[in-house]
Amino acid sequence: MSPIVSAEGLVKRFRRPQKGPGLAGAVRHLLRPRHETVTAVEGVDLSIDEGESVAYVGPNGAGKSTTIKLLTGILVPSAGQVQVCGVRPHVDRQANARNISVVFGQRTQLWWDIPVLESFRLLGDIYSVPEAEYRRTMDELVDVLDLGPLLGVPARQLSLGQRMRCDLGAALVHSPRVLFLDEPTIGLDVAVKARLREFVGSMRAQRGLTVLLTSHDLGDIEELCPRMIMIDKGRIVYDGAFDEVTRRFGWEQKVVVTLADGGPDAATLAGAALARVRPVIEETATGLVVTFDSRLISSGEVIKELAVALPVVDLALEETSAESIVRRLYEGNLTFQPADHGATS
Amino acid sequence: MTATTSDTPVRQGRTAPGSKYVSLARTTLQQAIAYRITTFFNVGLTFIWVIILYYLWRAAYSERASIAGLSWDQMRTYVVIAYGINALVGWRTGTAMMAAIRTGDVVFEMVRPLNYCTTQLARALGFTVVEGGISMIFTLVIGLAFLHIQAPASLASGLLFVLALIIGFLTKVLVVFLVSLLTFWTLNGMGLMWSQQAIMQILSGTIVPLALMPGWLQFVAKVLPLRGIVSTPLEFYLGNAGGWDAVGLIGLQAVWLTALWVVANLAWKRAFRVVEIQGG
Repeated sequence: MSPIVSAEGLVKRFRRPQKGPGLAGAVRHLLRPRHETVTAVEGVDLSIDEGESVAYVGPNGAGKSTTIKLLTGILVPSAGQVQVCGVRPHVDRQANARNISVVFGQRTQLWWDIPVLESFRLLGDIYSVPEAEYRRTMDELVDVLDLGPLLGVPARQLSLGQRMRCDLGAALVHSPRVLFLDEPTIGLDVAVKARLREFVGSMRAQRGLTVLLTSHDLGDIEELCPRMIMIDKGRIVYDGAFDEVTRRFGWEQKVVVTLADGGPDAATLAGAALARVRPVIEETATGLVVTFDSRLISSGEVIKELAVALPVVDLALEETSAESIVRRLYEGNLTFQPADHGATS
Repeated sequence: MTATTSDTPVRQGRTAPGSKYVSLARTTLQQAIAYRITTFFNVGLTFIWVIILYYLWRAAYSERASIAGLSWDQMRTYVVIAYGINALVGWRTGTAMMAAIRTGDVVFEMVRPLNYCTTQLARALGFTVVEGGISMIFTLVIGLAFLHIQAPASLASGLLFVLALIIGFLTKVLVVFLVSLLTFWTLNGMGLMWSQQAIMQILSGTIVPLALMPGWLQFVAKVLPLRGIVSTPLEFYLGNAGGWDAVGLIGLQAVWLTALWVVANLAWKRAFRVVEIQGG
């Protein structure tokens, strides 16, 4: 089976004006414009099979959105090849548009002042969805996303969670084959988040929908995407199973300590007790959070040392989360060696 | 909400997928209706200008029967109808597009199977039904009842007026489109909108009939497409252009419309390539 989304050596460069600060800078730029070339995406290779669910992560400005824009046909690549459902997006943007759908957590594609149902109907018309199919899809979406009570309400009156449900529904009216989710759960409460994830998961299972998700919420990724692609400075730095990240880099561990009286010197005492392994100690309202490298010291030993040094009320050992690994990766504290690249690259 | 109410809206209406652009126009119409009060005041306020111009011209005509070949009856008809036409394509067509570009919501237009120019035309049409409808009420009620405007010179003039009006409408939408598109480069549009408004009102003959302009300006105005928006339809309305003149005027309108359509589509492709990195 050939991949449904593929990219080879994808490059996108922008010319960005270089302006000095203030009015003087603006005037100077007007007289003698200077531009710098910014490479947002530098030789990205992607290969995603139909029905796969892939998380596309990376720090802000790493090139995530640019890649999505290249895949949706919004941007024209500076070099390299890109194909979605056998169509080159920037060459045949409209044909590509029929196969895909994009949901942005920070934007709505619903028409602001008219009832949600009208937006759905208009989308059905825009994508020329046959009546019977439109009805079937709507019944399904209304049922699964519980849209019934929302259809008569203008989009501007919806809460963020309701709006996201409607936006997801709107994205699926034309039964796309590939769904791009750009930070879909941003700002949502836990319950709504869980519900959205469940919905996307079920759409994937039932319809064979291919999902490419960008998110800073690792919960989204953990639940929805077995595979993770990580991009940094325009290059792919990791492409492989999500679990693999935890297994390979999960040597950071955490102990959450609750203290009888959070004396001001608690952090100093703990630091002194564990000085040889140089832990990271954060103070909280009730005590401390001690982060250490499990290759240097066992958690048992850390707990023992802390119990001796401090008036400990409670101790909890936190499992290494992928979040902390990804966070360190974002901060540049963790670098993947070339050998660490996943199976597909 | 009960299950029944949640079921009904899905099943109603639609029997077959409508034409996408007609559907877009209809949705925009619904949107415009949501703003009808604002629209009513906007149109009403511009009408104050009509009244000012009306009295200025009345003073000018107190000492002579004709200015630049126009009688007082023709002039007052011109002033009122020019504003009526001008209000057909209001602010919203341009400002809505600019807002979409500035906030980045324009991406949705890019990920849908739509021609962007046609989309904007459909939108403008939706707005125009509401804005134009309201301005028509002002023009007819105030114009006929108080300002004594005339009917079209003849049936043929009336028909030519309607034809020229339609081409003029499309011309104006494309000009507004091109100006709004500049937002891709400037990312800020109000200044653009104001300048465009001023230039368009002068060169289309909204404020002063072209015949009254100094020679060089008249030449510029007669060559540019903007005259087709207000001046050309009004020349037909007043019965000042017939025969080959009429053919020439409609022809010029048509040529400009075609050229603008081509330019608008090219400009959109071009704008597409400068899409900023906005949001990484």
